[in-house]
Amino acid sequence: MITTWTTLLPPAIVLSSLLPGLLIFSLREDQTRLRIGLNLFAVILKLGLVGLMLRGVGQGLEFRFALPFLPGGDLVLHGDATSLQFVSLSAVLWLATTVYAIGYLQDSPLQSRFFGYFSLCVSATVGLALAGNLVTFLLFYELLTLATFPLLVHRGTKKALKAGRIYLAHTLGGGALLLMGVALLHSLTGSPEFQAGGYVELLADAHQPSLMVAFALMIAGLGVKAALIPLHGWLPEAMVAPAPVSALLHAVAVVKAGAFGIIRVVYDVYGVDQVQALGLAMPLLAVAAATIIYGSLKALQQQELKKRLAYSTVSQVSYITLGVALVGPIAGVAALAHLVHQGLMKVTLFYCAGNFAETLGIHHIQEMNGVGRRMPLTMAAFTLGALGMIGIPPTAGFISKWYLGLGALEVGQDWILLILVVSGLLNAAYFLPLIYRGWFCGPPRQWPDERSLGSGLPGAGETHWMLLAPVLFTTVLALLAGLLAGSEVSPLAWSQLIINRQFGL
Amino acid sequence: MSAALLSLTIPLATAMLLLLFRTRAGTVVIVANTASLVAAMLALDAVMTGAREQLSLGNWDAPLGIRFELGPLTAVLLVFTALIHLLVTIYAQASRHSKTRDTDFWPLSCLLHASLAALWLSRDLFNWYITLELLGLTAVAMIIISGPRSHLPALRYLLLSLAASLCYLLGVAFLYGRYGVLDIRMLAEVVVDDPGTRLAMLLLTLGLMLKAALWPLHQWLPAAHAAAPTAVSALLSALVVKGPLFILWMVWSTLAEPGFARQAGVLFAFAGIAALVSGGWAALRTPWLKVLVAYSTVAQLGYALLALGLLLYWQDPEMSIALWLFVLAHGLAKVSMFLGAGEMQATLGSRRVSALKGASQTMPLAMFAFAVAGGSLIGLPPSGGFIAKWVLLQPLLVEPSHWPWALGVLLGTLASAGYVFRVVTIAFNRADPSSPGHDPDTAAQWLAMLPALIVWAMALLSEPLILWFQEVGL
Repeated sequence: MITTWTTLLPPAIVLSSLLPGLLIFSLREDQTRLRIGLNLFAVILKLGLVGLMLRGVGQGLEFRFALPFLPGGDLVLHGDATSLQFVSLSAVLWLATTVYAIGYLQDSPLQSRFFGYFSLCVSATVGLALAGNLVTFLLFYELLTLATFPLLVHRGTKKALKAGRIYLAHTLGGGALLLMGVALLHSLTGSPEFQAGGYVELLADAHQPSLMVAFALMIAGLGVKAALIPLHGWLPEAMVAPAPVSALLHAVAVVKAGAFGIIRVVYDVYGVDQVQALGLAMPLLAVAAATIIYGSLKALQQQELKKRLAYSTVSQVSYITLGVALVGPIAGVAALAHLVHQGLMKVTLFYCAGNFAETLGIHHIQEMNGVGRRMPLTMAAFTLGALGMIGIPPTAGFISKWYLGLGALEVGQDWILLILVVSGLLNAAYFLPLIYRGWFCGPPRQWPDERSLGSGLPGAGETHWMLLAPVLFTTVLALLAGLLAGSEVSPLAWSQLIINRQFGL
Repeated sequence: MSAALLSLTIPLATAMLLLLFRTRAGTVVIVANTASLVAAMLALDAVMTGAREQLSLGNWDAPLGIRFELGPLTAVLLVFTALIHLLVTIYAQASRHSKTRDTDFWPLSCLLHASLAALWLSRDLFNWYITLELLGLTAVAMIIISGPRSHLPALRYLLLSLAASLCYLLGVAFLYGRYGVLDIRMLAEVVVDDPGTRLAMLLLTLGLMLKAALWPLHQWLPAAHAAAPTAVSALLSALVVKGPLFILWMVWSTLAEPGFARQAGVLFAFAGIAALVSGGWAALRTPWLKVLVAYSTVAQLGYALLALGLLLYWQDPEMSIALWLFVLAHGLAKVSMFLGAGEMQATLGSRRVSALKGASQTMPLAMFAFAVAGGSLIGLPPSGGFIAKWVLLQPLLVEPSHWPWALGVLLGTLASAGYVFRVVTIAFNRADPSSPGHDPDTAAQWLAMLPALIVWAMALLSEPLILWFQEVGL
């Protein structure tokens, strides 16, 4: 193998957070500056490397790295358009979340362990995004489970441990199912690299039942992380984690890993034609639609802010699955764009929830009355995120839903429109009261647990700047993704490019 | 071949030497193990370039003399044995808690090493009997190093081991009386399928299964392995039970007639799944840390038994590769697990699983070693255990009619995930951490981690090994 910078760039992107992560483990608790320095260095290095790869792919370069691993299945890291979509999202949100986490965890114990696993978690996510075949994907998928567990139980309380056990029971079970599915497919064809249109066409006649079982096993395994019903039980529990972890979990790392895996399996392993021909699209569509409605209904019942957001994730991530399962080009664009849109909006909402909790001690919805007067910037960001989730133009969420609707009409699944409308109404029903309470209700005489993190005045000093800056940053990104959706640099345009290759347009 | 013999004779000579002089025993043994490892690697290198080698001791040909054979598997097992011995003896020398300093551990471990090397090299039923006896007696002697508390499990192990030897010897005698040869290859040429031979095979199997603690004859193992000093537990679980397994595999894959092998194969495979499930369940329930690790050995041997059963049932030699990959991965992972567990229980001052509260803070390295080794036992990628499971799964999945067996593997995976993460979750409990009785021993914890890192590295090195085994056979 000739090693040039194009072969070394994909592993470098993974290692740029892995090695600093391992170094961080070895730091003493009091080496705060060194730890922050290492963290930021890694974040910026990764962003730079990802930028380099984006430019390279734009110029038509190919980034591919392979190591021998299993007979018929090498360890392949490959930077293609689909993986770059996810890698860029992870790298950008990692930057924001690292800053947020440094602010959030100030003066709390066990920071070296936290940031060590935090870096490992991002490495696993990026590796999963760059994975060039199913075996490599599986490897990083399992590593992601292992890296997120310590973050989830970081507080070490009884409640956290219970959530951790539930999380492990779900994700390890899901991982085992995915392993079975991947191994089954591997026993038939080996694990060639992902390719637009899939690679199972030649097997379709002789091994139809095996292909269907493998698909079901893989989707079940991925569906655990993507929180498809009835496998979503871990996600609402997991909100006991510290806010930066929840933000990462809901926006990029875990749920997105599942959704991204579904995209890979449908587009690059089976191919839309085979998924259609084997009759696998319809059940997936039904599960996704049911999850969307169910998640919204459950969100409506929650009185705890983070729990409401968690159920909202269950619902929103399924838009991605829905778009994929519609097996049409326009819906596909919507699915891929929503991967980014949902990430930006949800991360904002979780940051805001974290800010409310850290600054004022707000955990429940009725405690949100008048919070807009005390923390106007955070509340504004929350409002924009929530409006995006509902799908009000011109937010990013509107773009996703618009394209999903068009995509559904294009393939003749008109009933999906009904799902979208109902879900939109439900979204409004559980988000608008929060916005109303925040802006229009009077503030209480005393906040539940106010801490002096900033100057205490509304505006730039309403909370610690490290908690506020990431919120504003992701809000602006989410806004831009919606406003500039028609331009060439938007997630939408990039999704269009991927889909054109997939459908040969 | 001479390198392989050297790998056997160096520990043997060291054992003899240590009976006479006991100064600096630890250092001497570590040097000897290193030399033995180098010799074993040279032997492996020779096998990789050339073909199998035969050696008739004292130039007496079989059936009169003793024949040694150095094939690919034997060479790999010699390296494996020497490596494990080296890792464990370095730990035993360095750790403050190993309780083996100034004991008979050093000569005994060398003797154990030599008898295992002889076992891997032998191809003769009676010679195997001798190595088995040596192995069993040495193992019992090593268990009782840890004091009176271990006498009862050790005695039970000794009695069962003797009974098993008698069973085995009776089987050997039957075969010798019937065919007049004991060399396994000569026997394979003349053996016929009749009731007498079948009875002999069953006697051999009974003895070997008892010695290898294969389900349902595993009852003695958890108590015996848990009672031994930490370093000894690691050797017992990683190596000693694999010796009889090797003979069992050799006997069945060369001597059994296909029809008989198919019948027995189904039974082996079911016993394997039962071992996975019941061993896993027992590990989930037990309150004692080292007993948990020992039950995990019972469960993991189930994978080997399942592979052996399917090898016989389908007459598919590829299954042997899965079997031996499991043995290698399990050996390395189990060393890490026992050493990590031993360090934690010595430092935290309790043998209970529940004493590990907060161990992820107080003893992060040992806990990490335990978790990483556990990952390989579960079969999470990229680890040796994953590769082994993958190779086992491939033939199970390719035909829809084989899928029920894959369900057994799935159950085994879930059970092992259950007991590994039972421990890991407790270690993250920060509510009420147990504080260490004295300073954790950092160097010893790193030594506990080392085999686990090797087993994860094994994932990236296995492909050439698998391809080589597929090409030349075992």
